[in-house]
Amino acid sequence: MTQQKYSPHYTYLKNKWTQKREALQREMFLAHKDAFLWLNNHVRHAAIGSLSAIIIASGQPVHADELTKVPVPKEEVAQDLDPKVFVVRDLFSVVPKEVRSLTLQEEDQVAQLLSTHYGFRVTAQLQGKKLNRSYGLIGAEQHLARFPGDTMVSHFATADESNKYYSSGMAPGLGGFGYFTHSRQEMTQTDVMREKYYIAVQSFLSPGFHEHVKEYIDFLRYRKMLVVNPQNGKAVVAVVADAGPAEWTGKHLGGSPEVMAHLERFDGSQRGPVLYFFIDDPEDKVSLGPIDTIL
Amino acid sequence: MKMHVHFYSHLIDTTSLDIALGEMEISTDERVELESISQDALHHAVMHAVMLKLSHEDKKVFLKQIALEDHPGIWRFLHKKTKNIESLIKKTAKELHEQLHEDIREGKKNQDKD
Repeated sequence: MTQQKYSPHYTYLKNKWTQKREALQREMFLAHKDAFLWLNNHVRHAAIGSLSAIIIASGQPVHADELTKVPVPKEEVAQDLDPKVFVVRDLFSVVPKEVRSLTLQEEDQVAQLLSTHYGFRVTAQLQGKKLNRSYGLIGAEQHLARFPGDTMVSHFATADESNKYYSSGMAPGLGGFGYFTHSRQEMTQTDVMREKYYIAVQSFLSPGFHEHVKEYIDFLRYRKMLVVNPQNGKAVVAVVADAGPAEWTGKHLGGSPEVMAHLERFDGSQRGPVLYFFIDDPEDKVSLGPIDTIL
Repeated sequence: MKMHVHFYSHLIDTTSLDIALGEMEISTDERVELESISQDALHHAVMHAVMLKLSHEDKKVFLKQIALEDHPGIWRFLHKKTKNIESLIKKTAKELHEQLHEDIREGKKNQDKD
C-alpha cells in the first residue's frame, strides 16, 4: 500500500496550528461555557444543540437539513461541557459530509485525532492489513450464540439488559469465528464482552483478502477496533466477530445491539455513518465497551 | 478552498498569510488544509475576543444571531452593546497572524537546517 508523504514544513505547521486552534477553541468554550450550554439547551433538538454550538463556533453555517439527520439522544444534556464536544468538532473539519471512503490523508488525520483523544494508537492499516473502508454506514446485527446451547433466555446477565436488548434476537447461524467459547462453564468475562461489543466487517472486500484468506481471518479474529459516531462523539471499543453485511445492503459494517445502542445508531431509514479504525494494542490493555476521551 | 464569510470577514486581510503559504514548498492540498486550520483558529480567537466584551445575556443573543448568519443584525447589536469592536477584531486578527507568520518562519528555519 502506497503511503503518502507529507512535506516536513507542512507537517510542522499542521501540528503547531492544530494545537493552537484547539487551545483557542478550548479557551473560548471554557470562558463562555454558560452561553454555549444555553444554546445547547434551547435549540429545537437537544441532540443537535452541542453540534450547533460547535458548528457555530467553528464558523460553519447551521443548515436545517443537516441538523435533522442527527438522532435525538435518550439521556439528558450534560450540565457540564461534555468532552465529546471536542471530538465532534475536530472530526467535523476532517470527515467528509458525504458518506464515502476516506482518502489516505483523511484516514491519517482521523487516526491522529482519535489517537490523541482516546490515548491509544488507532490506525486504518495494521500489520499491513486494511479493510475496504474506515468510514461507512452501520447496520444492526443480532446477538450471537456464545456457546452451544446459548439462547435468548440464557443470554443476558440482568433483567435490565434483557429488557433493553432482547428484542434484537439471536442470529440463526454462528458468528464468523464460530462460538466464542466451548460452554457456559468455560465462558470468561472476555468472551461475554466480545459478544456484547462486536462488529461485523466486510472482510471479503479487504484489499488482498482473497490472496491471503487465512492470514486475514487470523488477523481479524476478535481484532479490536475503535468505532466512533462522528455526529455525537460516542465511541466504543469493539471486536471483529463476524463478516458482513453483504454489499447489496448498502451498509458497510454491522454493530451488535449493544454497540448500536451506545453509539445511538439505528438501522433502516435512520441509519448513519461511523468511523472504524484498528486499535494497535499488542499488550491487550484497551478494555472493550464504551469509551470516553482522555482530553 | 471555499472560504466561509463571517460577520467580520471584511475587516480581516489574509493576503500576507496567503502569500506566505503560497511561497512554501507544499502541495495544494497541504496549503488548503493549513488555510483551513488558520481560519478556524482565527474564528475562535475573534469569537472569544468579542464575547469577552458582552454580558452573560448578550452572549446568548449574539450566538443566536451567529447561528442565523444575520450579519447586519450582528453589527447593529455589537454597535449597541460595545465600543470600538472593529478595532478589537482587527487587533485580534493581527496578533494571531503575527504568530502564524512566526511559525512559518520557524518551520522554514527547521527545514533549512535538515
